[in-house]
Amino acid sequence: MILQLKDVPGMLIRVLEPISSYGGNIISVTHSRGEKDSVSVHISFQIRDQSSLNLIKKALQKQKMHISEIRVEGKKYYTKKSLSFILVGHVIDTDIQDTIDRINTLGMVSDIDVVMPSPEQKSSVMMNVDIDERVNSDFVELVEKICREKKFLLIRSLD
Amino acid sequence: MKTAKLIIIGFGVIGKGFVRVLIMKHNEILKNHDIDLKVVAICEIDGSLVNEKGIDLESALKLAEKEELKKHNDWRSIKGLEVIEEIDADIVLELTPGNIKSGEPGLSHIICALKNGRHVVTSNKAPLALRFSQLHKLAEKRGVKLRYEASVGGAIPIINLYRNNMQINKIHSIYGILNGTSNFILTKMFEEDLALDIALKEAQEIGIAEKDPSYDINGIDTGVKLVILANSLMDKKISFRDVKITGIKEVTPESVELAKNHGFVIKLIGDVNKLEVSPRLVPLDHPLNVSGTLNAIMLDTDIAGSIILVGHGAGKIETASSLFSDVLDILRS
Repeated sequence: MILQLKDVPGMLIRVLEPISSYGGNIISVTHSRGEKDSVSVHISFQIRDQSSLNLIKKALQKQKMHISEIRVEGKKYYTKKSLSFILVGHVIDTDIQDTIDRINTLGMVSDIDVVMPSPEQKSSVMMNVDIDERVNSDFVELVEKICREKKFLLIRSLD
Repeated sequence: MKTAKLIIIGFGVIGKGFVRVLIMKHNEILKNHDIDLKVVAICEIDGSLVNEKGIDLESALKLAEKEELKKHNDWRSIKGLEVIEEIDADIVLELTPGNIKSGEPGLSHIICALKNGRHVVTSNKAPLALRFSQLHKLAEKRGVKLRYEASVGGAIPIINLYRNNMQINKIHSIYGILNGTSNFILTKMFEEDLALDIALKEAQEIGIAEKDPSYDINGIDTGVKLVILANSLMDKKISFRDVKITGIKEVTPESVELAKNHGFVIKLIGDVNKLEVSPRLVPLDHPLNVSGTLNAIMLDTDIAGSIILVGHGAGKIETASSLFSDVLDILRS
């Protein structure tokens, strides 16, 4: 976990306490001074499951600690959000693979359901996509852009 | 006892509904609020009924139903603007249908009434969506009130609820179903697997949709109401052109079926935070999943949490409930 902390006494202990109290086994702590009064702190710790990690994350965020990155087993960790939407139009004929590939640049299509009444008529495609909740607005913009280009009606779920 | 003189501009469905309820509730209002409501003028396109002692409403209503209002003893060939200027009254009820491009004729009626020091109660959305700040400033300058509960959600008391009972709340978001016609069509498509044009035709046959349904199905009506909610409850200072609008015209039976198979229903949602009107997927068990011509509005606030209001968004007498709420509120204050 990488955090940007204010360079004031007692900050490090305030970060380590919730990690420890939610069962984190701290392996190493390194820090480097950045610009002005901030310190970049890298903390490596073992944790038994994802929900404990989320509790640590929430506790730190509640204390207004700035977490710049979390990596789990070397991969970037994010809080997953699932979005559902329907595309209405000539979704198959306008290169559905391209549509999926572009959506996958910001998320991961986990489920697709297609209803195609006949080749001439518009098809309806339901997609479920997992995204990092921090990119939510970028993701919506991307899907809207694809829909404008390919003349689809977008029916999004209520957030 | 206080006597209050009213001018009604526009004697269509809403105007007649107001008069019908006034006949029904006049004595009750007198007894409970000590206010004697007198209609001193009813204005139509080609002339007006005028009687400063109070118009006989029963006969006006009967003649209007037969489209023979001109036969009424109080009929004069003066029009709304002249009546507002010349006839003494406390409140002008502006109940004409609005044109979203110009806001007329309602815009001129409202400006004229405010300039002449009359309070205004209106159900007319277009002038509010186009000139919200200007009209409010004018009312403030003249020391009179401009009220418009009936313009959004018909009988649902959304604006007065917030104004009178939720003052300390900060609203995080408002969204909901603000158009009964499109909700009726989408409900028919969902429940009976109909195509949009068939459901629309049925809505037209039973008088729910107009001959030209474009305002409703293209999302314009929802957009206009969204602007009023954004300005009156969230102080957004926006105009109609700031709203991104997608109607329900392109919603297919297949998309409705697909949504149903995955536990959703498609509804036309006005979203004040996003300043957007668009068809959205609403979970089947969500409180906004209301059917037929019902409207539903959801408010998310900091103190009260979520508030959901469901009710009739239009109707001959239902809208009068909101008009009376404004009229009595003005007269009691």
